[in-house]
Amino acid sequence: MAQKRKVRRFYDYSLLFVVIFLTGFGLVMLYSASSYSAFMEHHGDAMFYLKRQAIFSVIGIVGMLVVSKVLDYHLLQRFNMPIYFVSGIFVILTAIIGLSSHGSTRWLRIGGINFQPSELMKIGVIVMLSSRIVRNGNNANKKNNIIYCLAVGLLPAAFIGLSNLSTGIIIAGITVAMIFIVCRNYVVFAALGGLVGICYIYAYQIAQFCNKFNLLKDYQCKRIFAWKDPASFEDATFQTLQGLYAIGSGGIFGKGLGESVQKFLMPEAQNDMIFTIICEELGLFGAVSLVILYLIIISRMLEIAWNAPDMFGSLLVFGIMCHISLQVILNIAVATNSIPNTGITLPFISYGGTSLILLLLEIGVCLCVSNRTVLER
Amino acid sequence: MKKSQNIEDDAYRRRAKVLPQYMQNKLAVTYFVIMLAFLALIVVIYRLVKNKNEEYNHIVLSQRQASYGSRTIPYRRGDIMDRNGTVLATSQKVYSLILDPKVIYSSKSNDYEKSTIDALVEGMGYDRDEVTAAIQKNRESSYVSYAQELSYDQKAAFQSYIEKKNQEYKKQYLPDRIKGIWFEDNYKRYYPYKSLGCNIIGFSNKQGTDGNGGVEQYYNDTLIGTNGREYGYLNEDVKLQSVIREPSNGNSIVTTMNTNIQSSLEKYLAQWQNDDVGSKIAAAIVMNPKNGEILAMGSTNRFDLNNPRELDPALYPDSYLRELGITEARRAYRRENPDKDPITDEQVPDVYTEKEILAYGRQVAWNSVWRNYIISDTYEPGSTAKPFTIAGALEEAAISPGTTFNCEGYVELNDGYNVWRIKCNRHDGHGVLDATQSLMYSCNVYLMRAAFAEGISNFIKYQHLFGFGEKTGVDLPAEADATGLLYDEDKMGRTDLATNSFGQNFNVSMIQMAAAYCSILNGGSYYRPHVVKQILNPNGTVIEDVRPELLRVTASKSTCDFIKKALFETVEEGTGKLAKIQGYHVGGKTGTAEKLPRKAKNYLVSFCGFAPIEDPQVLVYVVVDTPNLPGEEQATASFATKIEQKIMNDALQFLNVAAQGETDPENSINKLIGSGSEGISSQSMGGSQDEEGEDASAESSEEGDNASTEEESRAFLENIDDEKVDSFDDSYELPEPDSGASQESE
Repeated sequence: MAQKRKVRRFYDYSLLFVVIFLTGFGLVMLYSASSYSAFMEHHGDAMFYLKRQAIFSVIGIVGMLVVSKVLDYHLLQRFNMPIYFVSGIFVILTAIIGLSSHGSTRWLRIGGINFQPSELMKIGVIVMLSSRIVRNGNNANKKNNIIYCLAVGLLPAAFIGLSNLSTGIIIAGITVAMIFIVCRNYVVFAALGGLVGICYIYAYQIAQFCNKFNLLKDYQCKRIFAWKDPASFEDATFQTLQGLYAIGSGGIFGKGLGESVQKFLMPEAQNDMIFTIICEELGLFGAVSLVILYLIIISRMLEIAWNAPDMFGSLLVFGIMCHISLQVILNIAVATNSIPNTGITLPFISYGGTSLILLLLEIGVCLCVSNRTVLER
Repeated sequence: MKKSQNIEDDAYRRRAKVLPQYMQNKLAVTYFVIMLAFLALIVVIYRLVKNKNEEYNHIVLSQRQASYGSRTIPYRRGDIMDRNGTVLATSQKVYSLILDPKVIYSSKSNDYEKSTIDALVEGMGYDRDEVTAAIQKNRESSYVSYAQELSYDQKAAFQSYIEKKNQEYKKQYLPDRIKGIWFEDNYKRYYPYKSLGCNIIGFSNKQGTDGNGGVEQYYNDTLIGTNGREYGYLNEDVKLQSVIREPSNGNSIVTTMNTNIQSSLEKYLAQWQNDDVGSKIAAAIVMNPKNGEILAMGSTNRFDLNNPRELDPALYPDSYLRELGITEARRAYRRENPDKDPITDEQVPDVYTEKEILAYGRQVAWNSVWRNYIISDTYEPGSTAKPFTIAGALEEAAISPGTTFNCEGYVELNDGYNVWRIKCNRHDGHGVLDATQSLMYSCNVYLMRAAFAEGISNFIKYQHLFGFGEKTGVDLPAEADATGLLYDEDKMGRTDLATNSFGQNFNVSMIQMAAAYCSILNGGSYYRPHVVKQILNPNGTVIEDVRPELLRVTASKSTCDFIKKALFETVEEGTGKLAKIQGYHVGGKTGTAEKLPRKAKNYLVSFCGFAPIEDPQVLVYVVVDTPNLPGEEQATASFATKIEQKIMNDALQFLNVAAQGETDPENSINKLIGSGSEGISSQSMGGSQDEEGEDASAESSEEGDNASTEEESRAFLENIDDEKVDSFDDSYELPEPDSGASQESE
């Protein structure tokens, strides 16, 4: 690149616009889903959640643009250790002094702002793994390195999993996917996939076993029982059932924006179950459109990972891609009762400041990587 | 574009350099797996939408309905009034106290529970433990109806108490609030006159949706309204708004009942029952003969409409209820298990619990207390039916007013197998009588001769014309089915004709008799007897005037005039002298019928009177069934006549009927009211037993004044003979010759 000609750099505008569109769409749906409960819970302020989420969106989008244009993603490589360990410390702190919500401790209050360190941990793990793999270079395939990488991912995953199983699963999923990329081996992963499949099929029996030996928390076991045997756990399946009613009653084109009925019944419709409200209001058509938007984002990321100027950028983008797709898949799977109920947010749409800002920053990193791709004349 | 090849080459080079081939493959595999997962999820959603759309839509809508918390606003059941607008039945607004534990526990720090319970205990005086239990037991519920039938004052006082308390909490910056208490409107049916006119009015169920007996039952559809509803919906600002669809209240009914006459009627019946001889049952009806309006009706069976299910323990002790219950339970068992062997009384306790037996017993007791004797019960009328025989014979010109027959004391009939001798009430015969005298002295022989002259088919025609064997169509429930109470033409023999002619061997109800008399009194128009005069809408505007409904013409004016005159003579000179009222021209006819089975020697005495004779405005018909006297002593028509006379006296004055002469100031209604005897005396039937003998003797000495009545009684007593005369058994077939029982009628 020593030419004197001006270097033209690629910038993935399509990804940028899809993400901004999705965030905007998320705000609309969030308002529709949350206005009633906001009105009831926050002294008549129907826009309570919308306003907060809008502020987070603006912060996130500005942050995303700054990260993508101004900063260099290689900083992450340099500071991978501090990022990882600071995240880890936050996670540990949360377990000790965190705030409780819904029976598990997930929140940390710093300077009057609540945030979820487990979200940060996801980024920490992605950054750490990417830089480890790059540093190992051609030795990445060696057993020790693989085990090291596994430890980097699975340790925090296990620790977070104790209080927040879903985030633990996502971190573990990201870890496995990134190691899958690095390893030449297919058989082990195919076997792992098979194992997950068996677990999925025999989840009920496994949950019974776990329940006997107190391996899982009570509420976690209950969710599995309720998933397989909804009739006996009507209280536990209330949210799931209402979600299914919402999806089913939406039909092909839905009841129309803002016309959801289930949002009056569904507790915290703006959180994990927002996808069901989207299905109810916009129907199967809306759901498919939304999934296609996610597919576009993921495809763009695949493209960026493919064309990244270096291995670190490529792995970084791949990790983020895995993170987003895992969350989308698991969230929709929960909404359709394909897997037991577990609290996973829908990226860019569900209510939650930490998650939204960090996701937008991740997209910023992806854009930053795309921006480093040099187009030659 | 021209450089594109270069760029692609370059890109390929870079790619190859940055990511090894296997990693690119794995990237593609990962992407492929993600795509597959997305696709699978879309398939899941598609199947959900396709298969469950309808079902889930239904569930969602029903949940929405429930969550909006629409509540019912009850309608007000219409009032029932007497003809002058006196309210006999009304619905009062009452309030139910509803607890909403879900709201009470809606605070995260549970700020409301204690303050709310405190308020209920202090403000309403409820028991703390009970309130606490009711709230804690129904944590998930939003509707616990804790107290019912609170008055407006109670409700208003408690509401202001809550407001005051909440203000105090606010001032003291306490988080405690009284929450989750609200009131629900309801109506309570109230009968201000308690048992007055209970058979006419009837009573409604607690919710006011259904009536039992009387106008409440017959006109239930008129009295009920439509419930209103309060719906919730969310407006654009997601505020819960409510739409109220007002209930439409029920219409009110103005009855033809005259409360004053009704209370006189009940007073005199009660006097008879409690302070006089008393009887198994006595009943009376007062009608306006001009249009068939029922002014009053009642029997000695009375019950408080406000507590219709309260049984007098003196009349219905548990032992008696159990007895009734066992019989009823046996019947119920046969009804429910028609293919099994019936159970005996001894087996009943094995099949039914003690509680069920008592419940059956209570049901039987209620039904007998609530039963409207005047409409639902039938009996053989006896001599009070004689005017109709004469009217029929006159109409058919079988006799004329001047036709005379010689009464020898009996009529002998020969059916080829047996010789029947049907006696007159006066054994030695009345001698030669004309039609007027036959009614005056109630001669059976004349009546039989007249009926023979008229013939069976004509006799039966007039029975039906006068409404016997038919329902009158009175607008009250449970009118006795009269078909089968008369003889069919082809089944009637001469003996039957003979006995029917003087009112035995066929059954009528009081309402039939009264309506038939009315038709003669007004000159031959048979009006449908009715108790409802007007229907008012909830605002009090008349929406329907019930016009007298003319059903048929029974007899010609001349016949009617003749009968009226003859019945006037009956009171003036004949058997009905006790019915005289000074100053008024009263007509009437006595009746003494022997009840079935004849062997029991039980009698039903009656009197049907009317006044004034020139233009009859009131008809009073009294029936006394089985006076509390042994055997033939019951057969004294004056029991009924005296009750009738008193009711008639009051009714004439209440209706301001102009007197034909100087009235007796002693009989003035004002005097009677002044003496404090007016009013509804509560019915207690227990006391009359020990006075019975004394009453009976008093009765006979009283009757000494009235030669004709006394003579008749004596004649009757003399008539208890061993001679085989006539027998009536339970069926209406030709009687068995040797089941000897004499039949008499004065």
